[in-house]
Order: sequence, then C-alpha cells, then structure tokens
Amino acid sequence: MIFWRRALFERARRCFCGRDMSAASLLRTGCTTGRAICLLAAIVLFAAIAAPGQAFAHAALVTTEPTDGAVLAQSPAQFSLTFSEPVSPLVLALVRPDGTPVPLTSFRLNAQTVNIDNPHRLGSGTHVLSWRVISADGHPVGGSVLFSIGAPGAAPAVSEAVDRGLRSAIWVGKVFLYVGLFLGVGGAFAIAWLAQGGRAGQLIVIAAILCGLVAAPLSLGLQGLDALGAPLARLAQPDIWKAGLATSFGRTVLVALVALGLGLLSLVGPRGGAKLFALAGLAGVGAALAASGHASAAEPQWLTRPMVFLHGAGIAFWAGALAPLGLAMRRKPVEAAPFLRRFSQAILPVVAVLAAAGIVLAVVQVQASAALLETAYGRLLLVKLALLLFLFTLAAINRWKLTGPAEAGETEVQKKLVRSIGIEMLIVLAIFGVAAGWRFTPPPRALAIAAAQPASVHIHTAKAMADLSITPGHVGPVAASIVIMTGDFGPLDAEQVTLVLSKPDSGIEPIKRAATKPGDGSWRVDDLVVPVPGRWTARLDILVSDFEMVKIEAPIEIRPK
Amino acid sequence: MNSYLLSAGAFFVLGTSAAFSHVTLETQEAAIGSTYKAVLRVPHGCEGKATTAVRVQIPEGVISVKPMPKPGWTLQVKKGRYEKSYQLHGQAVTSGAKQIDWSGGSLPDEFYDEFVFRGTLAADLPAGQTLYFPVVQECEGAAERWIEIPAAGQDEDALEYPAPGLKLAPKQ
Repeated sequence: MIFWRRALFERARRCFCGRDMSAASLLRTGCTTGRAICLLAAIVLFAAIAAPGQAFAHAALVTTEPTDGAVLAQSPAQFSLTFSEPVSPLVLALVRPDGTPVPLTSFRLNAQTVNIDNPHRLGSGTHVLSWRVISADGHPVGGSVLFSIGAPGAAPAVSEAVDRGLRSAIWVGKVFLYVGLFLGVGGAFAIAWLAQGGRAGQLIVIAAILCGLVAAPLSLGLQGLDALGAPLARLAQPDIWKAGLATSFGRTVLVALVALGLGLLSLVGPRGGAKLFALAGLAGVGAALAASGHASAAEPQWLTRPMVFLHGAGIAFWAGALAPLGLAMRRKPVEAAPFLRRFSQAILPVVAVLAAAGIVLAVVQVQASAALLETAYGRLLLVKLALLLFLFTLAAINRWKLTGPAEAGETEVQKKLVRSIGIEMLIVLAIFGVAAGWRFTPPPRALAIAAAQPASVHIHTAKAMADLSITPGHVGPVAASIVIMTGDFGPLDAEQVTLVLSKPDSGIEPIKRAATKPGDGSWRVDDLVVPVPGRWTARLDILVSDFEMVKIEAPIEIRPK
Repeated sequence: MNSYLLSAGAFFVLGTSAAFSHVTLETQEAAIGSTYKAVLRVPHGCEGKATTAVRVQIPEGVISVKPMPKPGWTLQVKKGRYEKSYQLHGQAVTSGAKQIDWSGGSLPDEFYDEFVFRGTLAADLPAGQTLYFPVVQECEGAAERWIEIPAAGQDEDALEYPAPGLKLAPKQ
C-alpha cells in the first residue's frame, strides 16, 4: 500500500540551477572590476529579476523508487532514480530521520536509470534520498526524494540553499575565461595574421590570455564545488578538482588551457611559428566551447558541436581583432592601414558564418518563439540580440562609412573609428557577460523535454500492480499508458482496464475511460484531457476475469502547463 | 447524531434510487442449511440499452443449484467441482452448477424482469457473514458488472457496482 503526503511532494525534483543566483552579490563582485563589468552585472541582474520563479533541471528526474512521499513497510534494499537523459551521479546521500547523512557509494548506471544500493537497514521515520547528478551539458542538478519507513515523521533538515557567492564566482570566472579565449587567443591571431608585423595591443592581449590562464583552472575548481554542492571554503580540496575535471566542463578547461598556451606562444615564442600557433589557438577556442555547455549538448550533435566551434572561432576572430586594431589605429594610423584593410576584407564572411551558426544554435535551443519571452534563457538571448544589433550597427558604420576614409588617411575619421572600436569592445564584454549567464538557465529545448516528461506512478497492492504514466505530465490533452502485473510480478492478462481520474477537492466528477490494447502488452487511453493541475487520484479498474474486478488507486501529480 | 441524521437523509434522497438501480436479490437473508430461492431483480439495462444476457456466479457453499428456465432466453449451466465435499441428505456432493447464463433474450431498459434459481445453502457456511453472487449484465455492445465485493470494513454503499449479497442467518 502506498500513502502520500502532500507537503512533502513539493520537495522533489528540486533543481539547483535556477534563477536564484544572487543578482546583488553579482553586482557587488562585478562593480569592483570596473564600469564595463558593472554594465554586464546590470544586464544579468535584469535577466535574473525577469526570470520565472520555477526552476527546471537540465536532465529532468522522471521517476524514483521509492516514490517521493511514499511510506514503506520495510527498509528498501535499493533505490532508483530515472532521468530524462543519461546522467552520472556526483553525490548520493541518505539523510536519516535524526539528520545524519549517510553517503551512498554503491550504484550502477543503467541507461537513464541510476540504481543505488542501500547498505543499511533503515529504522522507522522519514528519510531523505538526496541526489546530485551531472548531465551531458556539464551542468549539475540535484534534488531530494522523501520517503518514510513505517509511518511518516518530521522530515530531517537537509541544507539545499543555493550558494550565491559560488554562483557569482562561477559567472565571473566564465566571463574571464571568455576574455582570455576571445580577446586573448583571438587577439593573438589578429596580431599574427592581420597586423603585418605590428605589435600594437600585444600587452592587452597578453594580459587577456593571462586572465584566461588564471580563470580556466579556477573555473574548474568552481565547477567541482558546484558539482558536489560544496561551499567555496572547500575549494582547496583535491576531490573538488577531481569532480570538476570529471564533468564535461573539465574538457573545456583543458582545451582552453591548450588554446591559451598556443595564443601566448604565438606572441612570445619563435616568430616563425607564430602564425601556426595562432591558428591552432583559434581552433582551440572553438573546440573548447564545443566540448561542453547547453548548445554543445543539444541534439543533433553532428550539427550543434560544429556550429558551436564555428561560432566560438568566429567570435575570437572578430572580438580578438578589435583591441589590436583600435590601438594600432590610435598610435600609428599610417602603419595600421593594411591591418584595417585585411580585417575589413575578412570580417564579412566571418560574421556571416558566426551569425549563421548562432542562428542555427538559437533555433535548436529555443525551438518556439514564445520561449524567447517566457524563459530566462530566451530573455538572455533577447538581451544578447539587442546588444548584437547595436554591435552590428556600429560595425556596419565602421565598415562602410569609416573604413574607406580612414584607410585614405583622414585623421578625424580615424579618431572616430578608434572611438567606435572602443565602444564595440564594451559591447563585446557585455555580450560575454550575458552569455556567461546562460550557465544558470536551462535552454527552452531542455525545458520542453522536461515539460513533456510523463507524470508517473507505480501502484503496488497484493492483488495487482500497475505502472501508470500520463504523457505529457501537465494539464491539457494527454495519453495514459498502463502496464499491469499481478502483485507478485507475474503477467496479468486482464479482460478490461478502466482508468478513472478524480479530483474531489476541485469538484470535478471522475473522468472514466476504458483503456485499449495497442498490442505491445500495455494498455492505453488516448482521448483524455486533464483540465486542472494538482494532485489527482488515479484509479485503475482491472477486470481480471469475468466476475473479478481489482481496483487499485494512487495519487498522481499533474503539473501546470 | 446530526451527522447520522444527515447521512440518513442523504440515504433517503440518493440511496434509495441507487439501491433501485442495482441488480439485487429479492430475499437478502436466509438460514444456512436451508433451501434458498434466489430471485435476481434486473431493474434496467446498461446505460439505456436492452439487456441481452444475465450471468451469475454461484459462490462456494451454495450447492445443488437449479435455475428456472425463462421463455425467450437460452439457459446454460456451467458445472464444476466444488472446493470441498458437502453433505446433502446424507450424500456427499462434490460438484454442481458454478455459473448460470441466461442469454439470447431482450429486456428493454424501460422494463423490469427477474431471473430465478434455487439451491441449498450448505450447513457449514459461516452464519452472520454475507455471501455474494457476482452478476454480469450484458447489453448490446455494453455490459454492467455487478461484481464488486466490499473489502473487510468497507461500506457496501460506497461501491459503484456491488455484487448482490445474501446475509447468512444461523441454522434453524
């Protein structure tokens, strides 16, 4: 027999990556780094305030055994968690009724299901199965499942508070990593390939690379902290770094370090190899970005990873050239003319590829245009698009109005161009800030997957048991799929199965539908509409034989749309 | 007291009509060890459709069952072994009717009819308990199954399709 407790249910499927990053602390951290960063912080603050209250996982938890809120007669030998996509567990723990956590270390992965051994015999009372896993995009998610042995007691306290300082640090680390990769490695490429021997901006580029070289490993440690749900104070511990390295972001950091090294080498290394190093560095920037993140994890992989690569390499080419070009123009306008010419010749195809890749990725990630306004991810994209529009306008003015006269040597126009390039740099930094904010917002693609997840319940009685899933698990037109078995896991060849959904507290009369047999051993109900969200009672009337009907029921949670 | 009155009132308003719409036995109490004439009352069709067949399952302990033929209906008796041997008039009885089907007839929804059989309630049936006779009422393209048996402690009135019940009285 399965009992449920309403209040407890709300605690399941809690996600650690949501909008609740501290905008205020971001602002505080940001402002110390200068006005441009302050602008970024303001943009992310805006995005965070505008974000919806609900947090979603990247990999969504679909079913658990025991179910959340279940009351079991005896201690289970095993737990299982099934997700919407394959995951790797980071931290699994059982919190006893007295609040003592017991780490669960023995588990097996079976496709999307994590089977966890329970080494202890649990006493009576309410226990919490606390989980933290990482999905393919490299972003950790976590939650907890409450269940009781014997009878429910008071739930033990589990600390799940979002570490705002850590989130701010991750964001800042990401922005600096972008600065290193795009402005640093990209700048090295511009100096090696476009500047024709000019070294203007070299110091800034080296500074950016060093910034990246510090930020990359630091980000790895921060990722490890986020992965294990550990506080900043544990940054020095080796297991934190091991955990960070084990995530897909670990690959990004390793490739980024190589790319940064190549960029640095092209600047300070032997002259002969500078071009080659810079080119390899630029490719490394694309590869580093393609190694992890929402966009790279999206399907179809053959499309998204190359697109992220092109997008990243394109950004590095464009953004990286801005500082050396601007400084060259300001200091030695005459020598800078060929630099400007080469840049303006190359930039059109590069931006075309960059924009095309960006559009493809945005379409894959956002899917429906409504999601642009409805999700935090979509709003960040809109902010980014607005900044891009501004940037493209400036770039177009530079390219078609200012470049010609500047190359011809008009000093007034050259000054204007330098100023314009400076503003472009600021916008580029702001875009980095927005893009780094995506670290905390699951893309609409993932939200759509989560929304399409069925609401499932396992009903187990002595006479019969059933797995009922209602797909999608939210209000609106749904389909129900039912698999029935005898109470001792034997086959149950029923003559007829009827699904009855009722919600007495909403004054809705029971919705009764006969199920059909599609032929795969399950039962289906297709013509079903669930009108309101909340806790419904699902009852299955199983006609075992002509004269014997088994009725089993359990509550099932239907999400709002 | 108030709630009792309320529920009694509710029963009066809702319960009577509900009881009328169920398939029930005319005589709902009989002594064990006696001969029992079961009259199954079929008050209506299935959701407006005419009844075309009535099948009743004979519970264990009701022995020597004979149905009454009914003009216009085909009568079939499915026989089988009892779970144990019963004594009837000094003789051991080990098998008999397990299910009776009246089929091929047509009882429109607006008419009422009765289906009758007779049997002996074994002397070793537990007095004080209720014996259930699950009935399947078949109509054109539909069926109503009066087969629900209340679980221990469950209120019989809460059932949607209760099986007709017979309360067993002590032997006289």
